[in-house]
Amino acid sequence: MRSNSWLGRRMFIAVVLVFVLVISACSSGGGNSPSTSNGGTTPRATNDKPDDTNKEPAGNSGEGSGPIVELTVWDAPKPEDPQKSLTEEVFSEFEKQNPNIKVTHELMPQGTNDREVFVTAMAGGNGPDAYHAAHFPIIGDWVGQGLALDLTSYWDSYADKDQFIESSLQAGTIDGKVYGFPNDMYVTGLLWNKKLFEAAGLDRNTPPANWDEVISFGKKLTNTDKKQYALTLLGMEWADWWFEYYVWQAGGDLTELQADGTVKLTFTDEPTVQALQYYKDLKWTHKIVQNNVLQSYQDNMNDLFQGRAAMTNGASGSFGEYAANGLDLNDLGFAPYPAGPSGKGPSQIGGAYWILNPKSSKEKQDAAWKYVTYMMSKEVREKYYQFQMDNGIFPNLLSVRKDVDPGQYTTNVPQDLIDGVTKAAAEARLEYYLKERLTPYVVKAVQQALTEEKSDVKVLLQKAQEAAQKEVIDAYNASVK
Amino acid sequence: MKPIMEPKPQLRPVISWRMKIPWTPILFLTPAVIAFLLFKYYPLVQAIYMSFFDYKVIDPPGRFVGLSNYSYLFHSSEFWNALRNTFAFFLIYFILTFWVPIVQAILLNEIRFANKTIRVLYLLPTAVPAVAGFLLWKWLYNPDYGLLNYLLEFIGLGSFGWLNDPAMAKWAIVIPGIFGSGMSMLIYYSALQGIPSENIEAAKIDGAGPWKRMISIVFPSLKFVIGIQFIAFISGVFLTFDPMYIMTGGGPANSTRTLSMLVFDSSFKEFRFGVAGAISFVMFIIIAVITYIQIRVSRTD
Repeated sequence: MRSNSWLGRRMFIAVVLVFVLVISACSSGGGNSPSTSNGGTTPRATNDKPDDTNKEPAGNSGEGSGPIVELTVWDAPKPEDPQKSLTEEVFSEFEKQNPNIKVTHELMPQGTNDREVFVTAMAGGNGPDAYHAAHFPIIGDWVGQGLALDLTSYWDSYADKDQFIESSLQAGTIDGKVYGFPNDMYVTGLLWNKKLFEAAGLDRNTPPANWDEVISFGKKLTNTDKKQYALTLLGMEWADWWFEYYVWQAGGDLTELQADGTVKLTFTDEPTVQALQYYKDLKWTHKIVQNNVLQSYQDNMNDLFQGRAAMTNGASGSFGEYAANGLDLNDLGFAPYPAGPSGKGPSQIGGAYWILNPKSSKEKQDAAWKYVTYMMSKEVREKYYQFQMDNGIFPNLLSVRKDVDPGQYTTNVPQDLIDGVTKAAAEARLEYYLKERLTPYVVKAVQQALTEEKSDVKVLLQKAQEAAQKEVIDAYNASVK
Repeated sequence: MKPIMEPKPQLRPVISWRMKIPWTPILFLTPAVIAFLLFKYYPLVQAIYMSFFDYKVIDPPGRFVGLSNYSYLFHSSEFWNALRNTFAFFLIYFILTFWVPIVQAILLNEIRFANKTIRVLYLLPTAVPAVAGFLLWKWLYNPDYGLLNYLLEFIGLGSFGWLNDPAMAKWAIVIPGIFGSGMSMLIYYSALQGIPSENIEAAKIDGAGPWKRMISIVFPSLKFVIGIQFIAFISGVFLTFDPMYIMTGGGPANSTRTLSMLVFDSSFKEFRFGVAGAISFVMFIIIAVITYIQIRVSRTD
């Protein structure tokens, strides 16, 4: 009896403890509700009502008087960064010019990937005041989550706004509002190893011009004895990234953004079907790609570096990386993609934006804007290009600023690479709309085509479209209507 | 008129109870209990709470959606596919890995020569960071340059797609688990050491052969430890994330995408934190039900 009673008391205490925990958990969640945060010490998310909160553009936090505004930015150079000395010089110059702004430069915290780390930090209230790696395909979702401040009023009164190329603003401008300040940009294209072309009896300076030539060149470039193959495919969880290029080459896209903001899937349209069939044939019929179709992007690049792959996708901002991995840039070619049935081979524009933290105080946001405009000013950008040229560092051949010409700082880059980038940039487009949500559906179809020889691409795409329509698009379209 | 010597039964037991509060154990246990509640139960409660909202990380909790996230799950092909994959992994892990440390421990228990050295050798691989181990296996499986295909081709058994083959990928992911059971082996070995040698000797005298001794003495002695290990095994397999994330990213064609990967993808790729909370809760229910059944079965035995 006595032990039962003691047990009962313990049970009671345990139940009370759990109850208190549940209450505290619920109240904690409620404590972060909009009503509390609006009225509390945390500043209101200014992108809720940008017109009210951002009427004053960059404040006077950089002037000589007034309190010091402290910013945290995740842009500290890594110890091995060859541009570390210049970056530190640029940082100290900013503080000299803006004595009232103190910037703490931090390395990005470690984590599974940069996106997860950033979102987690923002959710925990520890996000930076300014962040420069809001990639083009992700910024839309981040804006939807309230992770980026509406910069429209800042941008409208920004003196240099016309100095940025239009395509650099496209992904960061949502519903007519500017959320992203262009930081960097690249254009993709076909990258080939000229030495392997030569060894296969091909002209080292002439890449395949169309899909048929990819196959005929590919057969000459594939040598199973040497474990050498012609072209890398990307079949891992980012498989839709490279596959979309083939859809473009066939004259289509994976989604269509309608005038009313809704999205239409085009997985079963003829160009998409044609592209997947071609993709599948490269693997199963022509056998000119790697067997390990699921290997990572880095493994694909390693195959290029080690002379196992003759052709892959390259980016205008990565020539330095290619050189650092032992490739002689004189043996590397870069050109627009081979044309598909549409007669075109558009390149993809990618890059990243600076975004500001909507939870920071107005003073911090003003100071952060000032910092971002300084870092992206003509003077600072030219300093970087000059430093890169003086120190043999290969520059990004595409600048987001019109008034900064990378061509003036390219004495160490072969002219044909510069010409290739210019040609690729002439016809470039953004990745397909709603990519982040639709990736699992497209990837599944692509992977099935690449791993199941008898699969029917039409059926795969039909299934992918039906599932994506039901599980993503219907809800998305309902939310924008 | 009431009797003069009426007892006062209430007072003494209360004082006695108060006097017997075991403050020392409470003091020692409190930090652990608080930590447990904070880091185990609070996230669980928070996940359940999130699952009722179109959760916004920057301005939580977002719009209340009731059971919509659960309704979405049950209509989602991705969820059912991940659930199927999770159960398939559970079965494959059970078939390929669960019994291995038991057998290892039983065999080791019979060996006297270099027993300590062998134990250390079994245990050493657990010191290898899991991520490094999975990366190593990923390279071994490479169909073009991997060691496994090289060896198989060398002896004329052909090459395989391994992680590239949807039918084979799950098995390929589980295979490294066979070799990484050093800690479990040690636990079973400790349990075996607890069996009185007199019982074994008596059984031998009574004419019981090795198999009979195994069935009648060894397994009954291990049953409790196996039960505990099985419960840990269930939650371990259902929550496993690293091997799939590193070796296949959920592919090919979502054939290795599990519920835990779906939680990660829903949160950090699709920003559907409410859906992620709902999946987590469903996982909790599944694990709790299987664990409950296991405990009931153990008690019945």
